[in-house]
Amino acid sequence: MANQGAALRVVKDEAVGAAPPVHTRASGAPTDRTSPHRVAVIDATLACLARHGTLKTTVDDIARQAGVSRATVYRAFPGGRDEILGAVVDTEMARLFSALGVTLGESADLGEALVGGIVEASARIRGHAALAYLVEHEPDVVLGHLAFDDSNRLLGTASRFVAPFLARWMSPPEAERVAEWATRIVLSYAIAPSTTTDLCDPAHTGRVVETFVLPGIRALHSAVPAPAIDITPFAEGHRPDGGGPGGAPQSSGTASPTTPHTPSDHRPSTIDHRPSDHREEDRA
Amino acid sequence: MAGTRQRILEATYACVARWGLAKTTVEDVAREAKVSRATVYRTFPGGRDELVTAVVSWATLEFFARLYEEVHDAGSLEEVMERGITFAHRSILEHDVLQRVMQTEHGTLLPALTVESNRIRQGIAEFLVPYLRQRGVAEGVDVGEAADFLARMVLSYISAPGRWDLDDPAQVAQLVRAELLAGVVAR
Repeated sequence: MANQGAALRVVKDEAVGAAPPVHTRASGAPTDRTSPHRVAVIDATLACLARHGTLKTTVDDIARQAGVSRATVYRAFPGGRDEILGAVVDTEMARLFSALGVTLGESADLGEALVGGIVEASARIRGHAALAYLVEHEPDVVLGHLAFDDSNRLLGTASRFVAPFLARWMSPPEAERVAEWATRIVLSYAIAPSTTTDLCDPAHTGRVVETFVLPGIRALHSAVPAPAIDITPFAEGHRPDGGGPGGAPQSSGTASPTTPHTPSDHRPSTIDHRPSDHREEDRA
Repeated sequence: MAGTRQRILEATYACVARWGLAKTTVEDVAREAKVSRATVYRTFPGGRDELVTAVVSWATLEFFARLYEEVHDAGSLEEVMERGITFAHRSILEHDVLQRVMQTEHGTLLPALTVESNRIRQGIAEFLVPYLRQRGVAEGVDVGEAADFLARMVLSYISAPGRWDLDDPAQVAQLVRAELLAGVVAR
């Protein structure tokens, strides 16, 4: 029981951000990360978890479900069950983030990005059969990720992934706060569904974003003197290197037009543009 | 009878503080409360499991009763939220029993705490409603809807501050006034 909990509690900071989930957990033999069966084993495990949870799922079940031999499973995951369960968590997080990346990347404005991202994440969480089984039958396995220190870790992981997508419309430190806020909203309604607000419904999420979140972001921006934020919609070109329609006059900033700049040292903004040395102040 | 129940719960809490949830037995509780085992079972027919659920519920209510004491004389919505978040954040960090049980027995604690959290959220929301009415909500905002949203956010921030330093009054003020209340209150 404790072991299974530990195996599922592997969503650590380093696992996210890199595209393919990578494991460094110590195990007897080196993992064959190139095994063509790894994804099949992970998907088979998801199917088993959705039926039996972590307690009753064995390597034999997984092999049978995947249509491969036990030996093949162990070649792909020498650490066995615990390693597979860890890989399942990492893979499902990576899948969620990669879907979020597409939604956020395609959004034309901040409102659309927030609504699209919250709906996407909420729908994927609700539609996740394995997660649903665990919430129902082994809640401690799931809840361990969602409380206190582990929740801080999850908030950090998710917001570090989402923030760069929001930095199209605001400074990186602001983007991290807003990304964290959106993550809190998704988690709150996923853990305790509301009878009146369904975040899987774009109309409902639109209302939450319009009513509570966008005004909060605007106020946060004007309350913090330093970071710049732009919440007006721009379809194209509002990038540090873009200078498209509505782009900030680049000459007012610290960077000369020839200076190569990245989002972290040059905030896109039409409202305010200041030297970037305040960034540390904004962080706790 | 209410007195017996209270005494048993206080004794259970003392045992949990000493030995943790898993190692606390009905015998321990009976001895601590200076009642018979039969009395414990009469009051909590479900035995140990019921005691664990009940003591989590009891300790949670104690916590929020202290929170209420801390904030009930606040003059404004902003003040009640700032003081509440600050106090709750500090109390959770300084709550030795909660911290110890979280580290060693979160598998038992969290499901019980999650059940409680629905009640807590409703309690916070109901508490905020009169402050919201007094302050006046923005046009098109429903008081109940705003109270539920704020209660969710308060619970989220006090259980996991994330990037916010909730020991810093300036950050708490910014969180409450700029982020949380900007869309809620009338301008």
